[in-house]
Formats: sequence, structure tokens, C-alpha cells
Amino acid sequence: MSTGEGLARWLIQHAAHNAPPELSERLEEEWLADLEVRRGILARLRLAAGCCWATKVIAYEHAAASVAVAASTTGSKTMTAYAQHDDTFFSRRTVTVVAIVGLHVAIVYAFVSGLTHQVYQVLTGPTEYRFLPETKVDPVPPPQLSGAPPLTSTKVNIPSTDLRIDVPTDTERILDVSPGPAVIGPTSPPAPPRAVNRVLGGPGKGFPDTDDFYPADAIRKGLQGAAVVRTCVDEKGRLTAAPTVAKTSGTPSLDEGALRLARAGSGHYRATTEDGQPVSSCYEYRVTFHLKN
Amino acid sequence: MGKQERDVRISLQTLRVLEAFLENPTDELSGADVHKRSGIASGTLYPILLRLESAGWFVSRWETVDPSSAGRPRRRLYRLTPSGLTRAGEVFASFGRGVPA
Repeated sequence: MSTGEGLARWLIQHAAHNAPPELSERLEEEWLADLEVRRGILARLRLAAGCCWATKVIAYEHAAASVAVAASTTGSKTMTAYAQHDDTFFSRRTVTVVAIVGLHVAIVYAFVSGLTHQVYQVLTGPTEYRFLPETKVDPVPPPQLSGAPPLTSTKVNIPSTDLRIDVPTDTERILDVSPGPAVIGPTSPPAPPRAVNRVLGGPGKGFPDTDDFYPADAIRKGLQGAAVVRTCVDEKGRLTAAPTVAKTSGTPSLDEGALRLARAGSGHYRATTEDGQPVSSCYEYRVTFHLKN
Repeated sequence: MGKQERDVRISLQTLRVLEAFLENPTDELSGADVHKRSGIASGTLYPILLRLESAGWFVSRWETVDPSSAGRPRRRLYRLTPSGLTRAGEVFASFGRGVPA
């Protein structure tokens, strides 16, 4: 017999000994018989521990029943009432609930009242703050390198150079006047080297609307495009030569429409000015035909 | 303990013990057998068995076996009484579970 099995048998015998006398012998034999069926030392010890608890319950219920029987035989209703009250009020469940609630109340009280902090201080001692004395540290000069040459400043003379950048002059400007006709810079020879404030001309006030010269067949076919027209106008904005197509739109009818627009606009061109004075000039502008939905 | 039939406080564990017996009401079961069928720990099981016996729902007897020849101690066997069977059926019916098959 192992130690564990011996302990289990001893626990059962001890539990049965504490049972009511008329049940003691029976319970011991019954439980020892059931102990034989259990396999494993843990299962046997669990059975033995359960029997210890069962003894307490059986003894308690047996005592309550005895009081009830005695009360019924003696006719004492008071004793019966006491036994019933005792059975319900001091049950194991009630005691357990009261113990759990009490434990929670104690823990909450300990936290709220700062008791835990006091206990912590008692266990660990009061917190001490010590100020460390300030120590002065003398700056240490950097080490001198014995073999290194001394550092000296050297003046470097940089020869000045005459740098000239030639920027090419723009000779052509394009002015977009969309949705109306666009004006393209002049292709005339560049202005003389003298400083002249030259402002290019273009379609001016009263210039016809492009949509009025949109060719009907192009509208029907859904053709769109832009043609660049070259015009020459005098200082009063009138054509001095028949306009020509400088860059085709890719569609002959649109090019023709652009030329008709250019011719119809004669007298409504804004003349080019030099130092504020209108002069005759030639320039190009773009005529865009765009279908509107 | 008296054999006078009386009411028993029905707990969930008590129901499981009754269920173990109602699997086959004519079976005679020891405490170890009921433990196997119901899984209830001994600390709860034996008080229930005694409570049901004292209430008249069970009767118990010693197993008719010779311990020396069997090589083990005799067991205490419990069995449902006819009234216990009726009461157990009523208890399960009141819980809406019916009598276990």
C-alpha cells in the first residue's frame, strides 16, 4: 500500500469516525469499498477529501433532523421553528456569500482609506530623499598633438573672370485670345536695336464673332480645328493686304472660314503701337472653331 | 434515519443523481457507479444519497458477496423505490425535461 493510498484510507476512516454513530460503521465500509474502485492516487485522495466534507454535511443534516424529530415528539413548536430557521439562515451557501462580500468590503476599504499605502510604508520604510552634492568638473584642455603641424590660415586669391551669358532674344510671341481668335506674334524682322516700346496689335473692339463664320458643312460633319491667319493692318486697323493661312487647320473649309473672318474684321483690328503711336504691321493670330454642345 | 417519505430539496446535483438512476430504474448502483454516471464529487454525492434514502426515494442494501473470496469489500447498493420513481418522474416533468430515457 502506497503512502497516498494509506493517507486516503486514513482520511476516510477519520471522516467516518466523525459521522453520526449509527452511520459511522456503514459509511466507512461503503466509502472504503468505493475507494477500491477508484484508479489513481489523485482520484482516491479526492474521494477521501470529499468524504471528509460529506461527513460534515451528513452530521449537520442528521442533527437538524434529530431536533425536528425531538420537537415533533415533545410538541415543541418553538424548537421546530428554530431548527428550520437554523437550517436556512446558516447554510453553507449563506456563509460563503457573507465571507466573499466581507472580503470585498475589506479590500475596498483598504484602498479607499489609504490603508494599503500605510502598510506599504510600514513594510518598506519611509521614502528618503537625498540630495547629492554638486561636484565641479574643471574643463580639460584638448590634448596637444606633438607631431601634427600647427593650423594656419592661408589666403587664396581667386582671379576675377568676366563672365558674359548671351541670352537669345525672343522674336515671336503667341497671344491666345480663345475662345475668340488668337494672336500670334509678328514674323516681321526684329525691332531695331533702339529701345522702342512696341505693343502688338490684334483683333480689337467690334471684331466679328468666330461662330458666325463657322462653315455650315463643317458643323454638319462635326469638324473642329484651329487655323493660324496672317494679316497686315495699317495704323487704323484696316487690312492692307489679303489675309493668308500661315498654318492650316487640316480642314480646307475651316481654313476658308478663318480667312472670311479675317477679311470681315477689317477696320476692327487693334493696330500695333510703338511708343504709344499706332503703326502698320503684320502679325498672325489663331482662329479656333470649336463646336459647343 | 427514518424511512418516512418526505419532500426533498431538489438541487441541480440531486437531479443529476436521479438522472443516473433513471437511465435504468431497476439498476442497483453503488456510490462509485453514480459518480461515474453523473460526475458528481463524493462530498456532494453521499449526502444526497443518504438524503434521498431517508426520504424514502431510495432503498439500500449490502452487496451479497463474500469479501474474502471476491478480494474486495462489499459495496452499498442503492435502488429507486416505486414511490421514488414516481416522485422523480414528477420532478422532471415539473422542470419540463420529462423522464430521461
